[in-house]
Amino acid sequence: MTSAERERIAKRALAASTADQTEVIVSASDAALMRFTRGISNQNVAATDRSISVRAIVGGRTGVASTNETSDAAIDAVVARAIALAAFAPSDPMQPTLPSGAPTHGPENAYVDATAQADPFTRAHIADAIVAQAEIADTWGAGYVATSASGVTIANSSGALASFDGTDAQANVKVTADDSSGFAEHYATDVRALDGHEIGRRAVTKARESARPRAVEPGAWTVILEPPAFGELLTYLISHFSAQSYDEGSSFFAGKLGEKFFADGVTIRDDYAHPLAPGMPFDFEAQPKARPTLVERGVVREIVTDSYYAHKLGRANTGHALPAPNAWGPQALNIVVDSGTSSVDDLITQTERGLLVSRFWYIRTVDQKQAIVTGMTRDGTFLIEHGRIVGGVRNLRFNQSIVEALAHAVFASDAHRTGGYGYSLVVPTAKIDGFRFTSTTEF
Amino acid sequence: MEFEELGARALDTATTRGAHYADIRFERVRNERIEVRNGIVATLADSASSGYGIRALVDGAWGFAASADLTNEGIDAAAARAVAIARASASIARRPFGAPPERAYVDRFATPVATDPATISLGDRVALLLEAEKLAHASPHIAVARAWIDLWLTDKFFVSSIGSKIEQQIRQSGSGLQAMAVGDGDVQTRTFPGDVGLYQSGGWEIVEAARLRENAARIGEEATALLSAPQCPSGTYDVILGGSQVSLQIHESCGHPAELDRVLGWEANFSGTSFLELDQLDALRYGSPLVTIVIDNTMPHGMATCGYDDEGTRSGTSDIVRDGVLRGYEMSNDTARSIGRESNACVRAQSWEYVPMIRMCNLSLLPGTTPFEHLFDDVRDGVYMESNRSWSIDDRRLNFQFGCEIAWEVKNGKRGRMLKNPTYAGMTPAFWNSCDAIADADSWFAWGTPNCGKGEPMQTGRTTQAAAPARFRNVSVGVGYGD
Repeated sequence: MTSAERERIAKRALAASTADQTEVIVSASDAALMRFTRGISNQNVAATDRSISVRAIVGGRTGVASTNETSDAAIDAVVARAIALAAFAPSDPMQPTLPSGAPTHGPENAYVDATAQADPFTRAHIADAIVAQAEIADTWGAGYVATSASGVTIANSSGALASFDGTDAQANVKVTADDSSGFAEHYATDVRALDGHEIGRRAVTKARESARPRAVEPGAWTVILEPPAFGELLTYLISHFSAQSYDEGSSFFAGKLGEKFFADGVTIRDDYAHPLAPGMPFDFEAQPKARPTLVERGVVREIVTDSYYAHKLGRANTGHALPAPNAWGPQALNIVVDSGTSSVDDLITQTERGLLVSRFWYIRTVDQKQAIVTGMTRDGTFLIEHGRIVGGVRNLRFNQSIVEALAHAVFASDAHRTGGYGYSLVVPTAKIDGFRFTSTTEF
Repeated sequence: MEFEELGARALDTATTRGAHYADIRFERVRNERIEVRNGIVATLADSASSGYGIRALVDGAWGFAASADLTNEGIDAAAARAVAIARASASIARRPFGAPPERAYVDRFATPVATDPATISLGDRVALLLEAEKLAHASPHIAVARAWIDLWLTDKFFVSSIGSKIEQQIRQSGSGLQAMAVGDGDVQTRTFPGDVGLYQSGGWEIVEAARLRENAARIGEEATALLSAPQCPSGTYDVILGGSQVSLQIHESCGHPAELDRVLGWEANFSGTSFLELDQLDALRYGSPLVTIVIDNTMPHGMATCGYDDEGTRSGTSDIVRDGVLRGYEMSNDTARSIGRESNACVRAQSWEYVPMIRMCNLSLLPGTTPFEHLFDDVRDGVYMESNRSWSIDDRRLNFQFGCEIAWEVKNGKRGRMLKNPTYAGMTPAFWNSCDAIADADSWFAWGTPNCGKGEPMQTGRTTQAAAPARFRNVSVGVGYGD
């Protein structure tokens, strides 16, 4: 669905509404993904869908209704349903006027036609190249190649009208050998950037070099977290920067904005325009996104808001609304961690004894206020001794406060896009002292 | 059914273009969610979605295409796309593995419903939540109280090129409440019922059964009391788990590793593989002889209860663990065939736009014979834990660590003072082999999970793990805090 078609639907819905305030989100997507494992494609799928979501506000009462039908009758009906729902909600005295928006410009290369037009054989070609690398090494690979194109248009009764189209291309693989495994991934907006040979080769190398893993004792270790590991760990801290979490007291720094929690080298931003991960320049209320520095040289500087929390807390609207209805509050979704100055090799060379972690698995919050999380290493965990990698180790479970980890972190000079669970992340390799492992597993 | 002609057209298009087999699943989905948060209706949402997914089999390889375009042209395009995708699958396959189902069914199924939610006014639904949420503010420490209702209604129409024609109407409902207390450097949360609310198949009667109003004040009081409760100790203790926590333990340490697609490596890069490898079937002592875990996709109130799965296989019952020994897997047609068995109807898709895949269905631990209150007998030094708040397990489902919202110490057979931040950890087979008592049928309950994640693209599944409280000996407790 083109942006012009989405805008026509949005305007039709606004015209049909008698609510005090109305917001319409029209979205459309075409997404395809090929999975492969052990010499077959076990899932190979494509789906096309669209959605019209209407938020109606009547006397401070809010109702939200959505449909994926696009006829004029369906548009009128979904508007009527949203207004009818609003009648049953109590009035919210903090309900602000919807943002009026402002012109925005999507970052370069957010939409790549080659990705939008990728056919099943384009994905199969990349997958085949990955699988071939695994086969050459007498191992097997399981992974996926995905391409998608999506667009969103947001309009409201305050006059905001914003549209964005983007594409995504991703591939990853876990290569499994006799007693070890390795992982590699690549995220891009251009499918032509996915090099199946290179992705497969990286994973094979990790699997090969972590063969015959030895058991090491749990305890406090110096760790070097590669970007997929560090990025996933970080996602469990980001919600603390929501104005809702800060206001309600569940954030680790509630009431302590401006205080230093982390090491000097830690600077974390939310930036939709980073060249490695170009994203939507406005939020789901059509408010232009700011590019806030959440943490500057270890000091917590900023929380992210939407129109509701900007009004409630008397702060600027940073443009981080999620789609209504939203019980989670505003969220930073485009995380960028500033790189350091040392190379990854230097971080390893300067490590007397430590563990290099390729990837984490099943991280969950153990303690909200202290930001303690637990999780497992997987798919390539290595022992470092006297400044060099000496072999693979069996996987370990950690229990670690992310706040304490970042207080003892330095970053390499690299920068990689990684992701997961709705976040886009650009992060470097991280070296952290005193990372707490509590048990091991059998492999 | 309005989709009959379109279905026939899709199958004709797919087979004309070269599919050896094809099926199409139309769905019309209606979801309502209401969430009250601190006196405000934060969510009052009604969503509707219609569309279809087509599976096509070409040269032993599958393709799947989904669309919301219900025109003839839309059907033709989606069917052609499914066939093209299947050809792309075949192009990288080193071996054929897919085959058509062997049996066709013509049938209908509808979830038994005592009270249609539509007969309860929206005003009454909102009022229930506002009242319960208000009661949960039991002290000034309660910074956030929430209460919610979810109602799902799904109409499905499945037809296949071997002659299946299955109509189903699935209704699932749920509700819950949560109180979050904030103290000096501490946050404590209590959720009711269980750890996500009460979710089952059925109508408004499921929401009423949760008894939110009757329990809201207690939940708020417990969250507040946890702020000043002592820390759960670290060490080796006997552990008694409440029913909802046993349910989650089954889910994570038996339900997922017994998925045959995972065993075969189909989820290796994401959800992981399994320690329940094929050579362990009929051999592995998974748990103590008390432990019997079964699939029953016909059970009343099961979230996965239906007449047929999304491959068109009839629901039934089967063993996963019988008297402690591994006896089976959750299977699809293709995976079952690969080990010489028949599918046990464990294939589901989140909705029309997702491909059907093996999902944990109604997989439950059968009750024991010990009355709940006697689980505490013979425990000299132990901990009783309820309501999950943290769960993590390695990618072969061996090393696990779970945390609960609340616990009580157990001394000399008696439940004592409240403890906060309880956690426990272990290795799956050793843990289930340490189970020496399971509560009887009086405390066995169909705990539903509305949000189980698996697959790429990620799909959310609704599943039930019925369970009763159970006792485990010599468990590592208190991991995550302290050393």
